[in-house]
Amino acid sequence: MEFVISHLVKSYGSKQVLKDCDFVFEEGRIYGLLGRNGSGKTTFFNCINSDIDINSGEFYFREGKDAAGKIALQPEDIGYVVSTPTVPEFMTGREFLKFFIEVHEEITPDKTIDEYFDYMMIPEDDRDRILKDYSHGTKNKMQMLVNIIAKPKLMLLDEPLTSLDVIVAEEMKNVIRNQKEGHITIFSTHLLDVALDLCDEIVLLNHGKLEPIDKSNLGDADFKNKIIAALMDQEDA
Amino acid sequence: MLNDFFTILPKVLHLRSIIGYNSLVFALKKTPVIGKVIPDRLYKTTFLKVIYWISHIIKEVGALFIGKMCGISCVYLAAGLMAAAYKSADLIPDMSENGIFGMFALFFFILYALIGLLLNTKYFKKTTEKDYLVFMIRMDAKKLNNTLFAYELGKIFIGYYLVGPVAAVFGCPLWAWLVIPFLAVFMKLFGAGFLSCRYKNLNKKHKPLRNSYAGDVFKLVAVILLMPFLMVLFINGYYVPMPVIIALTVLFFVLGVCGFFVLKNTDATLHRKALHDGYVDEKASTAEARNQTRSFKKIKAEGSFKSDKKGFEYLNALFVKRHRKMLIMKPVAFTVIILALTAFAIYLFIACYYEDNGADACRNMVMNNLVNLFTFRGFSDPLVDLKESSFEFFRWCASFQLFALSVPIAMAENSFKCTQAMYINCDNSLMTFSFFKKREMIMKLFDIRFKQLIKINIPPAIVSSIAANLVLFATGGQEYPFQYLVTFIIASAFVVIYSMSWLALYYLFQPFTTTVTVKSGAYAAARTVFSIIMAIVMFIPAHSLIVMGVTVIFAFLFVLIMRKLVYKKATKTWRVKA
Repeated sequence: MEFVISHLVKSYGSKQVLKDCDFVFEEGRIYGLLGRNGSGKTTFFNCINSDIDINSGEFYFREGKDAAGKIALQPEDIGYVVSTPTVPEFMTGREFLKFFIEVHEEITPDKTIDEYFDYMMIPEDDRDRILKDYSHGTKNKMQMLVNIIAKPKLMLLDEPLTSLDVIVAEEMKNVIRNQKEGHITIFSTHLLDVALDLCDEIVLLNHGKLEPIDKSNLGDADFKNKIIAALMDQEDA
Repeated sequence: MLNDFFTILPKVLHLRSIIGYNSLVFALKKTPVIGKVIPDRLYKTTFLKVIYWISHIIKEVGALFIGKMCGISCVYLAAGLMAAAYKSADLIPDMSENGIFGMFALFFFILYALIGLLLNTKYFKKTTEKDYLVFMIRMDAKKLNNTLFAYELGKIFIGYYLVGPVAAVFGCPLWAWLVIPFLAVFMKLFGAGFLSCRYKNLNKKHKPLRNSYAGDVFKLVAVILLMPFLMVLFINGYYVPMPVIIALTVLFFVLGVCGFFVLKNTDATLHRKALHDGYVDEKASTAEARNQTRSFKKIKAEGSFKSDKKGFEYLNALFVKRHRKMLIMKPVAFTVIILALTAFAIYLFIACYYEDNGADACRNMVMNNLVNLFTFRGFSDPLVDLKESSFEFFRWCASFQLFALSVPIAMAENSFKCTQAMYINCDNSLMTFSFFKKREMIMKLFDIRFKQLIKINIPPAIVSSIAANLVLFATGGQEYPFQYLVTFIIASAFVVIYSMSWLALYYLFQPFTTTVTVKSGAYAAARTVFSIIMAIVMFIPAHSLIVMGVTVIFAFLFVLIMRKLVYKKATKTWRVKA
């Protein structure tokens, strides 16, 4: 299965953020979406998650290469983890998971609530505390966990490792790696090292366009310099 | 000092105009339809900025005339009326009418200024412009506060002097016209100096200067409660003798001078610190929004909640449980206390009618006169006519003015705050999950919340109905069977209308950003239109059966239409604002 972006355009007034974007994302791979601050990474995710309207273009799943395999995106197909973790703060972790599983009648959980907590390495004494009192990292883990339970086809991760400590960041990276099979994962970041460490493919969002970077070069010593050069504006150069 | 004034004031006015202009363009850009055609370059269009600048000056002058001059005009008007009444009754034989006018003008002004000082002293208050000028441009906070204060004093002084000649035409003596503007300035100086002293003391104890909402409410209630007593005193011919008023005037002049020196000696760093402490004015919208948002975050819980409810029912039950104090306890307690007091007062008043004139003449006179003053905007001494007219008036209200039941219900209902809490503590986060935005899920939660809002808002409506029925009962009882029940049905229909309106508007416009502040012009416009309609409706007199028919049918249709709109639109409109 593939996730296809076709001629996607998004503008804010006269400012065009996404300019006729085309790209094909494949299942089972983690894509690192790299771009400078303000390049439109979050806008791109918000468009796909239908949080904002697009100006033109389309995106869909595709089974096989022909047009007949087009499958429209449903809300339940998307999992979205945002950089500032947003969880319902008045609920405890356990209550949130209970609620989440109950409203997803189509899901048959393969673990108990505590097993899910164990999987995400959420400490026992946190599980019955309200989410408001969770640390940034644990809130992030909760966000990730509900997306793992929902098993969406497409996972959008908007800078999920930002401001996590090294231990939690490593734990999260492992979770993301473990979850990549059967999903299309798009991981946005402006940190090149994180992208190189975690992702199978690098995609640049530059001047409103999605540009693939040849994955065979990932190990090259001057790969970083090439990406930096690609991301620089003409004026910067 | 004067140099500082003329350097700083233009900067402040310029900044005020920039903030105003940019806010206006921003609001226009956020308005549906219009917003789409307004280009970004409007922010830098000089021609429009000049037009805005002119309108801003007109607004400043307007504020001078409307605000300051209206206040002092009321003082002169009250003094003139009292002078005429006292002279005709010959209550102060050794004074001329002009003298009495001046005496009352001075006394009322002192009262008016004291109330102003008690409720509204802006000297240290943080505003958006002060925020920018002190903390970003690093302007001297003392010079800025003093400039703005001097500007305010100037406006008061000029405004009061301009009203003086008009008052003189109606009999105000020259000395009162000359003294009052100076007294105003000195009393303001005293107020600011007092605040400065208070802050110096707080600062010594390392305590911040905070605006106390509860304190303001307390002061307001104290002032409101004081008024009837003063009115009773004046109606009975009592007054404060001239020598006492003169002594008070001199005292305030002396205190004003002291205030001036206190302000002069207040350290600039203390000014900066006072602003930094967040003595927040309503204009400092960002800081206020942050404060408001924090008030919604006061949630506590011990362990997880176990319930038989599932899914969204479970979510709603949890939400109400964790926000009980915020959503339910406060409005219910507030409404029950206020309406119980109202009902008790009305009952007392009506009971007075059935007593003979001599039974408790003082209480009878006070109650009748006060009610008559508020309802018929006049007062007089003869009791019999007033008793009859007030009796009829209340009976008429309870039978033919039931649209007005919407007023206490609107005041007590808590739907807006509920939607704020829903957004900031629940929806804001769940909206990032795709399941939450599916139509059937939206409607499931919408219906649960609608029922919940009705449950939250119904107690005040029941209490309002009891109060209305109490009036009906005390003025002769029901005219037809089930008239008491009709009142309850009307109040319940209003609850349905209000609950649906705020909830549906929230789903159709989702006006909040990362704070609980409304950032949607369309939402604000819809709320205003709805409020205006309700305000017009409440004045329409109609038989209670007709009111019941209209409100029930309207509530039914309103629920159907709004629900349908939410069903059609909410998947697009109910989402996190980017």
